[in-house]
Amino acid sequence: MSGDSLTLAPAPRSAAAEAVRLEVREFLAAEQAAGTFVPHVDTWLSGVDPAFSRKLGERGWLGMTWPKEYGGHERTAMERYAVTEELLAAGAPVAAHWIADRQSGPNLLRYGTEAQRREILPRIAAGECFFVIGMSEPDSGSDLASIRTKASRDANGDWVVSGAKVWTSNAHHSHYGIVLVRTSPADPANRHAGLSQLLIDLSLPGISINPIRILDGGHHFNEVVFDDVVVPGDMLLGEEGAGWHQVTAELAFERSGPERFLSTYPLLAEFGRRAASTGDAAQLAALGRLSARLLALRQLSLRIAAALDRGELPNIAAALVKDVGTTFEADVVDEVRRVVDVPASMDSPDPLGRALAEAQLHAPGYTLRGGTNEILRGIVARGLGLR
Amino acid sequence: MSDQDLVVETVRDLLGAHELFVLTPERPWDEGLWKALVDTGLTGVGIAEEDGGSGGELADAVAIVRTLAAGAAAVPLAEQLLVAAPALLAAGLPVPPVEQPVTVAVAPAVTAEPDGDGRFRLTGTVPAVPSADVATSVVVLVGGAGGPVLAVLDTAGLAVTSSANLAGEPRGTLTFDATPAAGARLSAEQAESFRARYALARSVQIAAALEQVLSWTVQYAGERQQFGRPLAKFQAIQMELAEMAGEVTAVTAIVDAAVQALDRGEDVVLAAAAAKVRAGAAVEVVARLAHQVHGAIGFTQEYRLHHLTRRCWSWRDEAGTELEWSRVLGAGLVAGGGDDLWTALTRVV
Repeated sequence: MSGDSLTLAPAPRSAAAEAVRLEVREFLAAEQAAGTFVPHVDTWLSGVDPAFSRKLGERGWLGMTWPKEYGGHERTAMERYAVTEELLAAGAPVAAHWIADRQSGPNLLRYGTEAQRREILPRIAAGECFFVIGMSEPDSGSDLASIRTKASRDANGDWVVSGAKVWTSNAHHSHYGIVLVRTSPADPANRHAGLSQLLIDLSLPGISINPIRILDGGHHFNEVVFDDVVVPGDMLLGEEGAGWHQVTAELAFERSGPERFLSTYPLLAEFGRRAASTGDAAQLAALGRLSARLLALRQLSLRIAAALDRGELPNIAAALVKDVGTTFEADVVDEVRRVVDVPASMDSPDPLGRALAEAQLHAPGYTLRGGTNEILRGIVARGLGLR
Repeated sequence: MSDQDLVVETVRDLLGAHELFVLTPERPWDEGLWKALVDTGLTGVGIAEEDGGSGGELADAVAIVRTLAAGAAAVPLAEQLLVAAPALLAAGLPVPPVEQPVTVAVAPAVTAEPDGDGRFRLTGTVPAVPSADVATSVVVLVGGAGGPVLAVLDTAGLAVTSSANLAGEPRGTLTFDATPAAGARLSAEQAESFRARYALARSVQIAAALEQVLSWTVQYAGERQQFGRPLAKFQAIQMELAEMAGEVTAVTAIVDAAVQALDRGEDVVLAAAAAKVRAGAAVEVVARLAHQVHGAIGFTQEYRLHHLTRRCWSWRDEAGTELEWSRVLGAGLVAGGGDDLWTALTRVV
């Protein structure tokens, strides 16, 4: 089935998913008790902890849906959904492996050569190999087809890459990037033609990684500059010229997961604690309103996981869920602060004040990353037959 | 074609033969449509034949209610199929003949005095009862000192003060004065689950109505030309329609999940609360944007849009307001202490 359907069938119940959910929950409680991590908001961007990622790899919770011959575990998308959801809800440090496990691995599985798969996928599944997304550029944000990073073949058949990518989350901790480049000149008549994806080892000479700090001062984003970087010829991912098509498929994975509505869940958890202790009617009602939205989003996201299990790539439904979900993430801050008398501050003695501060300072990102909500609504509009 | 598709087709055919009209005190419901539904056996779907129904599953009953709601049908079948009959059967009480409309009332201010075996005498007043002056019997959830009682009685002889909701649907005040009724005591949980069923029934109706409102609005935006092109080609309009679609899809997902939980026999109080609160919140956005896109024509009684938007504005308040259900959901999720909200959330549906 194609990915052009706006609505999806309800997800079947999965006993296997519920079983692994409990295993993850138990693991996380033990890790938290041992002081391995302290819950934070938006940890899939900011919580880099390679040792924690390796522990997840050891337990078989990375590369879960991939074939065993590439280090995967041949489990369902519904099971993977349960694992990722538990990790996010706990505010666990999952940023190191997040991109590799979510989209780079599936992308390699789909379009990579046999050598690329054998070399890289088992390391991702072990929590030892991390990836960045090389899509946006300083002059190309929502208009992705306008990118200018170029790659051309040299006399040896290698690629010579020049240009710059931005907002590359955790490039300074990552091993590879899947980088969208222009491999033939822009054709105004077909803007999506002439783009390709390259698998680039970030330790190659000529690559510089410069930090870009976000609002709370955190260093997660980078500018990655390619100065005539020579990339081995066999590191083309998929087909030359098919970059746009491949990126679109990748975006279904990028946009559909529970991280698109759970980034601020640790704030909601803290707020739940507060509402329970005060018993305040306005706080309990706000908790109810936010929870109703979250429960609906869970059902939508589960439907997408079930669709992935059926072999579909539900691009339009994923865009819709991400629009509704990321709007919710930011609204959690606004709704909570209307009913609690706690100023948002990173130095607050009150954990709720700190969670509010973290969530607020990260908030502008929720509805931008992975495609702005305006772009997503354009995709939904296409699903409605308006474009 | 599945049985359910067949049922939906039948309902659509009936709706097609009965034109929408503006509800007034003189003509508060569509009696002709009701008779047609009775003739096709649809007023007894989901109720076993030995209980006087025409058989079928909960999913069939939900499909009928959805289709009727999307068609703005002026018949009180949601109350009958999704609330009254299942609650009566669960409580071991007789189901009134399915050929006659039955309504439901949540009446915390009404008291029930025991009056012999399985009999009670009801006293007090309950406002805003759906189709109070149309239904021939009413299923009442009564509060009171002795604990909740579910009672069923004929409406003949009851004092009714007629009123209407925002859509003109009949909503009346019933007054009981030591009125005899068959009844059964319910546990607090059973009483709460009756209220939850009622809220879920309204949520099902809202979900279906909003889906239809979206579809009408997309259609209108494709047909209406301004500045030499259809409204649908303007990016500003596309953003609004996409926002509506997001709301509609979210409501459908949680309502479907709550219905499935009900079908599995689970406790659905929190699921129904979530469905009702989410549906009510979506009404705000979807109805506002639908009217905005339709422009002035949608603001008139001659155009069809109001049949659904006015109903949605009322349905979101009925069977418990959003505020009431938000509190139920919020308090229910942290009932075991606030430290494990997540576990509570993942248990709801």
